[in-house]
Amino acid sequence: MSDELDEALSALLAQSLDAWRLTGEINRQGDAALLIVAGDKRVRIARAPAGLPFRWAVADGERTRGATSVVGVLRHVRAALDPSHRSVRLRIAPLPPVSS
Amino acid sequence: MIPVGVLTGFLGSGKTTLLGRLLRHPDFARTAVIINEFGEVGLDHDLVAVSQESFIELHTGCLCCAVRGDLALTLEDLLARRDAGTVTPFERVVIETSGLADPAPILHALMSDGGLAARLALAGVVATIDAVNGLATLERHPESVKQVAVADRLILTKTDLAQAQSADLLVRLATLNPSAIRLQASFGDIDPACLFDTGHPASLHAGNAPTWLGFDAHAHAPKPSHDAQVSCFAILRNEPLSAVSLTLFLEALAEHCGGDLLRLKGIVNIAESPDRPAVIHGVQHVFHPPAWLDGWPSADRRSRLVFIGRQIRQRWIEALILAIEAEVAEVATLAA
Repeated sequence: MSDELDEALSALLAQSLDAWRLTGEINRQGDAALLIVAGDKRVRIARAPAGLPFRWAVADGERTRGATSVVGVLRHVRAALDPSHRSVRLRIAPLPPVSS
Repeated sequence: MIPVGVLTGFLGSGKTTLLGRLLRHPDFARTAVIINEFGEVGLDHDLVAVSQESFIELHTGCLCCAVRGDLALTLEDLLARRDAGTVTPFERVVIETSGLADPAPILHALMSDGGLAARLALAGVVATIDAVNGLATLERHPESVKQVAVADRLILTKTDLAQAQSADLLVRLATLNPSAIRLQASFGDIDPACLFDTGHPASLHAGNAPTWLGFDAHAHAPKPSHDAQVSCFAILRNEPLSAVSLTLFLEALAEHCGGDLLRLKGIVNIAESPDRPAVIHGVQHVFHPPAWLDGWPSADRRSRLVFIGRQIRQRWIEALILAIEAEVAEVATLAA
């Protein structure tokens, strides 16, 4: 994990807890993974092992899910910490012809 | 492309009066009108002068909550009748929403229906605000806040009756939606050329994009109070954003903000297209595809994003962009 991405992801997760109105802490572990502790929930975020089609591994209890980007990490973290949230998927409108 | 204007505003704010005046103007002579009325007995159609053959009235309830499909079907039917020559070949459509309507689903219907988007182009959202009761209405009725938030034009009505309150109301409007152009209409009297001429990214070019974005207006807007449910803020970026970063960013916005993102407008410096900035425009989770300007409006090539949202944190947005960009840079480094 690059220092820049490391810090940016940590900052994003901290801001996300605030934006989602959750109380919690983000700690860095010895293997450079991030551990979020929010109430009785713990989510661990680490680089995915080499050879897998993911960049990230997000562990919530006994379940580990892969993510291909920080946006995917954020999706899994929110699903774990804020299960009442109902996310919607981005929808791009059909491309209209450009008017003259 | 046939332009479609959306006229919204809370109950009693003067929408029908404004529409009645517009339809008497020669520029609006070939206009098909859709009036959504709340309740079973229609009244508004009696208040506007419009030819019967081009008049569609929906009786199925409020557009915002129940009749998105009906709106699409109504528009399709109207286009079919136009093609068949059974109605006047109208040159524009105006949809007057119910006073209780959330306009976002109406905009979604116009933006996301493939058949409609091929022939109809959103030409802007106009919201009327009653200068006498507007401030209280904004405090009490969240629907009116959303109507103001998604508008391109804010038309202050009944200004002859409420000089004292207008100043506070103008501050509130500038807080909610500083980029919207604010106009006044006494008894619906307004220059039609000031309405429904913007709003669709495909109609933008380097000359009119800054006005549409309203970034300068935002810079002078009052700061929202901490407890404001709906607020507007802008983000400025010096560095170009990669195309994949923009895609990931919009994806995350939709997922985590969804209905709370009332509107996002922006001009973005895309790394892969440095000379042709992208215009982005979204309502909640539905976005137009980026429209590419023919050039930069000025020497200022910074990306500018204007958000209107409900309890959306600017710091979260900034952190999200930084994290995405850091990952994209890392991936590029690894690939090299």
